[in-house]
Amino acid sequence: MIEFENVSKTYEQQPALNDLNLTINDGELFVLVGPSGSGKTTLLKMINKLIEPTTGTVKIDGQDVGAADIRQLRHQIGYVLQAGALFPNMTVEQNAAIQLDQLDWDVRQKHDRINELLTRVDLDPQTYMERMPSELSGGEAQRVGIVRALASQPKLILMDEPFSALDPLSRRRLQQLVLKLHQELACTIVFVTHDMQEAIKLADRLAVIHNGDLLQVGRPQEIIANPASEFVADFFDDGTTRNLFLSQVLKTGFGRLPEPADQPVKLAGTDTIFTWADLLNQHPRQLVTVDDLVLEPQDLLSYMSQIGQVS
Amino acid sequence: MTAFGNYLVKNGNDLLASLGQHIFISLVAALIAIVIAIPLAVALVNHRRWGEVVLQVTGVVQTIPSLAVLGLLIPLVGIGTVPSIIALVLYAIMPIFQNTYAGLTNIDPLLIEAADAFGMSRRFKLFRVQLPLAMPMILSGIRIAVVLIIGTATLAALIGGGGLGTYIITGIQTNNDQALIAGAVLSAILALVASWLIKVLSRVSVKKLLYGLGILAVLGVSGGIYHQATQPKETITIAGKLGGEPDILIHMYKDLIEQDNPNVHVVLKPNFGGTTFLFKGLQSGKIDIYPEFTGTVLQTLVKQPKHVSHDPAKSYQQAKALLKKQYGLDYLKPMKYQNNYSLALRKQDAEKYHLKTISDLSQVSTTLTSAFDTDFSQQKDGYPGLKTAYGLVFKSVQTMEPSLRYQAVADRKVDVTDAYTTDPQIRQYHLVTLKDDKSFFPAYQGAPLMKASFAKQHPRVVKSLNQLNGKVTTKQMQEMNYQVTVKHRKAATVAREFLQQQHLLK
Repeated sequence: MIEFENVSKTYEQQPALNDLNLTINDGELFVLVGPSGSGKTTLLKMINKLIEPTTGTVKIDGQDVGAADIRQLRHQIGYVLQAGALFPNMTVEQNAAIQLDQLDWDVRQKHDRINELLTRVDLDPQTYMERMPSELSGGEAQRVGIVRALASQPKLILMDEPFSALDPLSRRRLQQLVLKLHQELACTIVFVTHDMQEAIKLADRLAVIHNGDLLQVGRPQEIIANPASEFVADFFDDGTTRNLFLSQVLKTGFGRLPEPADQPVKLAGTDTIFTWADLLNQHPRQLVTVDDLVLEPQDLLSYMSQIGQVS
Repeated sequence: MTAFGNYLVKNGNDLLASLGQHIFISLVAALIAIVIAIPLAVALVNHRRWGEVVLQVTGVVQTIPSLAVLGLLIPLVGIGTVPSIIALVLYAIMPIFQNTYAGLTNIDPLLIEAADAFGMSRRFKLFRVQLPLAMPMILSGIRIAVVLIIGTATLAALIGGGGLGTYIITGIQTNNDQALIAGAVLSAILALVASWLIKVLSRVSVKKLLYGLGILAVLGVSGGIYHQATQPKETITIAGKLGGEPDILIHMYKDLIEQDNPNVHVVLKPNFGGTTFLFKGLQSGKIDIYPEFTGTVLQTLVKQPKHVSHDPAKSYQQAKALLKKQYGLDYLKPMKYQNNYSLALRKQDAEKYHLKTISDLSQVSTTLTSAFDTDFSQQKDGYPGLKTAYGLVFKSVQTMEPSLRYQAVADRKVDVTDAYTTDPQIRQYHLVTLKDDKSFFPAYQGAPLMKASFAKQHPRVVKSLNQLNGKVTTKQMQEMNYQVTVKHRKAATVAREFLQQQHLLK
């Protein structure tokens, strides 16, 4: 568990984080999202003490990070940087084993571990072990970056905008990889991104940060369905994502008051129209009720036709 | 070209020895500079403000002319190889430090962040990340430094540091193009080869490079120790001023001393520099003996008595007494010849204006141009005094390198110049010298100069050198100078032949 307690940070009198409180649970894939300069990366780097808070404390499993031995702390945390940030003077294997070197693993063990992890991220060890970073594509480099972070089997992995420099296809594949690894390894991942779609796709829970303030914390659907402020609403409003939620269907004007004869199935405003469509696929005449208003099967087609015209 | 080839063949061994010395000086200087500059840059990378300060300071050091650095170092560390190496190190630190510092500070901050985030130890980070990433910059700094060192090391010859510069300076002083070219070409080739070698080495891994450096350092040090260990028990250092004549004289000294004292090894430092360089070197004990002229002693070295005699015998006695009293130096007995100042001009001009004496010249001097060597144009016994004594007024007066002035007169670039009576170029360029009819110029007789304490401890050396008392006429000296300066024969050979001819040497 990671706890931020009344954390503030100022750079030469410029506030970067304002009295921030946040708890990240064990095993979560937690996303810090916000526009550039919001303070999300500062927050992330406080976890492994690359940055120290001006006031307040950061705790991992109840232990104050500020008081911890810095190298010991960092040996237990995986870190994935932008575009991989592999050391250009080392081979893939040497790069990946960098933390194991610090922990004095023996050569054989190191080799086997890297071998296993490369396979796990879909890089053939035979082909890639001895390559130099300059011989890798962006996506491959970042896979190696992930292997490097995972090598010492850390319970906690930090990722700082790891996919922002990748092409859309590579990015999607790596996002899938992160989801898969998170499930398999049962570790805590704190992931920073400015890409709202990426945040929604990956997050168990996410925190929206803007100008050093924590605006909202919650599951993606909750936030999209009920944005806490105008800014959060705007940030998640890309015209398509929001339209997928049933709460938006009601806002557009659909839904009638319930009648005694109705036998509706209850759905939440944070459910999507796909859940609705799935239901209708099995029971074509099924009525649904969302927030005490009733939606008819015909409403789905009308709604989709309407948002299609808008976009 | 064939003359040059002959020169190389004839002087092959000496050239190789000088080349070796040059490489040794350069290598030691480069290694010391590396050992200072790289750790300094590493230490200052995390203290940027100090880093900038050092960057400025090393930059300023580099703007000081190398000759000035050499001169400044003489009172501190004396002459020879040590001050040369110190000066070279001072020069080489800047490019190595600058490049190392820049290489380390310009590493992608993301990589440094990664290194920190994975909890690397400082050592691991330095040797596995920072230095390897900065290595191309560091190596290019070392390359610049080495090329710089090899070029600047030619100046070491000026203060007895040896190396290829000896040939360049001898070449300029004695008008010997072959020596000059040999020295210059060899040092240029050496610089190119070194630069290429470092380029090749830059593809070798850091570890191997460090081992290589270690081995080189060990070789260098053991070479130095061997060099020291194989020296004979007593070494006497004799230096000479710039030019062919002092070179011949010190070779005579060496031959005479070594003939009588088999356990003494004489080290010669020819073309060592100007009067002040040598005099300071003698006082500080870095050199033991050098030939000096009575006139120079009375005019520049000792505090001036009221009346300076222009009679050779009297001025020698005066010089000897004053040197002893003021500096505790012993001035041994002089040779016969006079290396007096005079004024020289083209034979045609002398005939045209009917010039025999300097008084004659003063009648027509306003129509003539003149060029004097720097010493002559400034010393009281030179042009300023002469001007007053004879009322000389020239159309123009300029200063000129001593080695160029005769040719300048012959080529009609100027009309009148100062001359030494023993200079062979007077004959070579068909010039005439004018009689000093007012006895303005003081007597100039050469004799060995040394500390009184040295003379006391080495009576046999004194005895050997006193054999030259009253020997060597002006004509003989002019002939020997002609052999060395114009015919480009070795000073050692000419000196030895003369001594054998005089039955001073078996």
